Amino acid sequence: MDVSQYLEIFLDETKEHLQSLNTQILELEADPENMDTINEIFRAAHSLKGMAGTMGYKRMQNLTHDMENVFSEVRNGNIKVQPEMIDVLFRCLDALDEYTNNIQESADEGTNDNEPLIKQLNDILNGTSKAEAKAEAPKEQAAAQSSEESEEKWHDIALEDSQIRVIIEAGKQKKNVYGINVVVQDTCLLKAARAFLVFKAVEEKGEIIVSNPSAQDVEDEKFDKDFTLIVISDATLDEVIKAAENVSEIAKVTGAPLVLEKTKNYHPIEEREEADSKQETGVNPAPSTEDKSGKAAKTEKKQTPSKPVVNRTVRVDIEKLDVLMNLVSELIIAKNSLVSATDQEQSGGNGINEHIEYLESVTTSLHESVMKVRMVPIESVVNKFPRMIRDLSKKLDKKMELYMTGEETELDRTVVDEIGDPLMHLLRNSADHGLESAEVRAQRGKPAVGSIFLDAYQDGNNVVIEVRDDGNGIDTEAVKNKAIERGVITPEQAASMAEKDIINLLFLPSFSTAKQVTDVSGRGVGLDVVRSKIESLSGEVEVKSKLGEGSTWTIRLPLTLAIIQTLMVVVGGEKYAISLGSIQTIEDVALSEVKLVQNKEVIHLRGTVIPLIRLSELLDVESTRSKEDNLIVVIVKKGDKLAGLVVDDMIGQQEIVIKSLGKYIKQCKFISGATILGDGEVALILDANALL
Amino acid sequence: MEQLNTTNALSIDGEGNKGVLETIQYIVVRLGDEQYGIDIRYIDNIVRMQRMTRVPKVPDYLKGVINLRGEVLPVISLRLKMGLEADEYTRTTRIIILKLEQEGNVGIIVDEVKEVVTLSEDQIEKLTYDSKDGKVNYINAVGKHDGELISLLDLNSITLEENAQ
Repeated sequence: MDVSQYLEIFLDETKEHLQSLNTQILELEADPENMDTINEIFRAAHSLKGMAGTMGYKRMQNLTHDMENVFSEVRNGNIKVQPEMIDVLFRCLDALDEYTNNIQESADEGTNDNEPLIKQLNDILNGTSKAEAKAEAPKEQAAAQSSEESEEKWHDIALEDSQIRVIIEAGKQKKNVYGINVVVQDTCLLKAARAFLVFKAVEEKGEIIVSNPSAQDVEDEKFDKDFTLIVISDATLDEVIKAAENVSEIAKVTGAPLVLEKTKNYHPIEEREEADSKQETGVNPAPSTEDKSGKAAKTEKKQTPSKPVVNRTVRVDIEKLDVLMNLVSELIIAKNSLVSATDQEQSGGNGINEHIEYLESVTTSLHESVMKVRMVPIESVVNKFPRMIRDLSKKLDKKMELYMTGEETELDRTVVDEIGDPLMHLLRNSADHGLESAEVRAQRGKPAVGSIFLDAYQDGNNVVIEVRDDGNGIDTEAVKNKAIERGVITPEQAASMAEKDIINLLFLPSFSTAKQVTDVSGRGVGLDVVRSKIESLSGEVEVKSKLGEGSTWTIRLPLTLAIIQTLMVVVGGEKYAISLGSIQTIEDVALSEVKLVQNKEVIHLRGTVIPLIRLSELLDVESTRSKEDNLIVVIVKKGDKLAGLVVDDMIGQQEIVIKSLGKYIKQCKFISGATILGDGEVALILDANALL
Repeated sequence: MEQLNTTNALSIDGEGNKGVLETIQYIVVRLGDEQYGIDIRYIDNIVRMQRMTRVPKVPDYLKGVINLRGEVLPVISLRLKMGLEADEYTRTTRIIILKLEQEGNVGIIVDEVKEVVTLSEDQIEKLTYDSKDGKVNYINAVGKHDGELISLLDLNSITLEENAQ
């Protein structure tokens, strides 16, 4: 079966299940007795296994299978949840995550079998009930069983003459004839399906000549919990048994070479031949076997599909789509009424304005709805953090707890995808540098368990995400000393720097105040990356900190990157858009108010000195305004910095759709994109941040 | 250059024309008095001259951006790029929209679009790179058609080189 078309869904769902497992196992750790959680985990593991199996990812399937076994035992009350077990399970999730990533990149799960993990899982299982131990370590069992005559159920099968002939014939051809007994787990729900898989697996190794109960009965689930097969194969006994064991929910597979004389109604036919005289090698395979192995090889090939392009997808609430659909139908109606209105116009009617207004309101709503479709809750990103904090807590040996609010806050899909890493950096930073060691916390009279907060909320056209901790806060003296040591600033500069500026030094590349480098944080690649990432998303990041009480990192992001509110201005006859987000005020400045400081034009506005940037000079155009007129100055801000952009004229506020200038135009730093105006003209967007 | 021709041969082979001389279709455009050929498979569209928005702080051959059905596309002046006189926009001036693998779509301005010609391999004479004259860089072969010579543009060098500057 060609499954590549399902790859996207598979990846999406796998990620969801892994996330849910992560969350649930965390819950399980806190509350080991919670049956709901355990059931939920079991279900997720089970679906994962099924999906991996369907897609032909064997390694992933094996690992999930063993995990599922553990959960199943936990659910049945045979195993108690222990901390070590949780650790193993988390490592399993990491391994699964790795498989998923491999699949996403190359459609192949990779070659890591994760045997140590599987072994640990089995150890957990073996540590409990004996029955389970048997099920999970069947290899030795098989060897042991084969010596016990009573267990050899295949000798109880009444063979027909024709079958005996086939067996004898096989013996002549120096093929191996085995009796195999397969026991299905008691908990198995779809016995027939499992049996079918066993049949298939065994048929890949050889030919099944007899089945007891018959294959039809087995398929109809007319068997208790075991069935017996007689198989002719070139493969060794172990290979055949293994093939059957690889099917999940199989408790036990035993097998041995078939001794024809021992079979129930054995009677010699023609030349008696020792059916069990067998050779392991040098046999011509029977055509039927060849066919089958050929087929098997083919299916295997198909199971590793050629590298697919996995597109990024957004899951859309059906309601949102319905709204869109309705709006589109309204749009069509509006268009039709416009058409008829123009006809009326010609014959002296009126009302075209009315229709245009209607059209306008429809397009506005349509626009809003489409934007909503792109919005996804940040949940998908922040959900992995509790797990991360738990691991950090163990690694750093600090007690800490993560409190999250506002996971449902929605952001543009592109932003949500990108925000994970910066947030992770900040959380790690809080855990590693922010929170104090237990002793220090005790001295300061703080609760032993440190708290880290992640709060997200919408604020106007922005989404704010705050990372807050009740730790040590930022030691500005330490930062200052480090900066001087690194030669970032001179001691004189340091003395005159405001606290805020010192904290901002943290965002410089290669700046880390951690006294020792840990693998959690402290390689000095963190905060500057955080800031550049967030700025690339048109957002900003701020820190507030009080020594000894903790710090708050505030990330402010635009709701969407695709549409922004702008002020349209005219410079030298050309139209430019400036994002409203960066505009503070617009001023009418008389020429006499412009002063020169170090030969640069500045204005003095309400107590602040603001440098002027003449956009016409910057953009290489002739200003169309006469030199005597007052200046129109757009005051833009970036953080604390202000600048006044001198423009020729203003058109007004306009909501625009951002279009990329393409890869071709790279040279232009302060143009962040373009937009298409109502009349089809292209206007460029000025990036005020790059001007400052 | 080599690569370009191999792909031509491949794609035409794929259509089952094996054994016949490979043919390539070119759109013939005029720049001043000269004729240039552009491999038709790189052409997405040909549009009339339209209002362009200047982009500041870019090389002068990059004339600006246009709106093509909701997409913003950069437009290059082929004349300026090749060191000819600046364009004079007339009724015949056209923008040829090229689809390029790496840079996406890019428009180039030509004085006139004349015709489509089909050249077979024996009508194309490859140019060896031997001159220091910058112009040669942009032409990788000369095609002969009806007694006229058509300079075949090497689109890769016309467009790729921009990024080096």
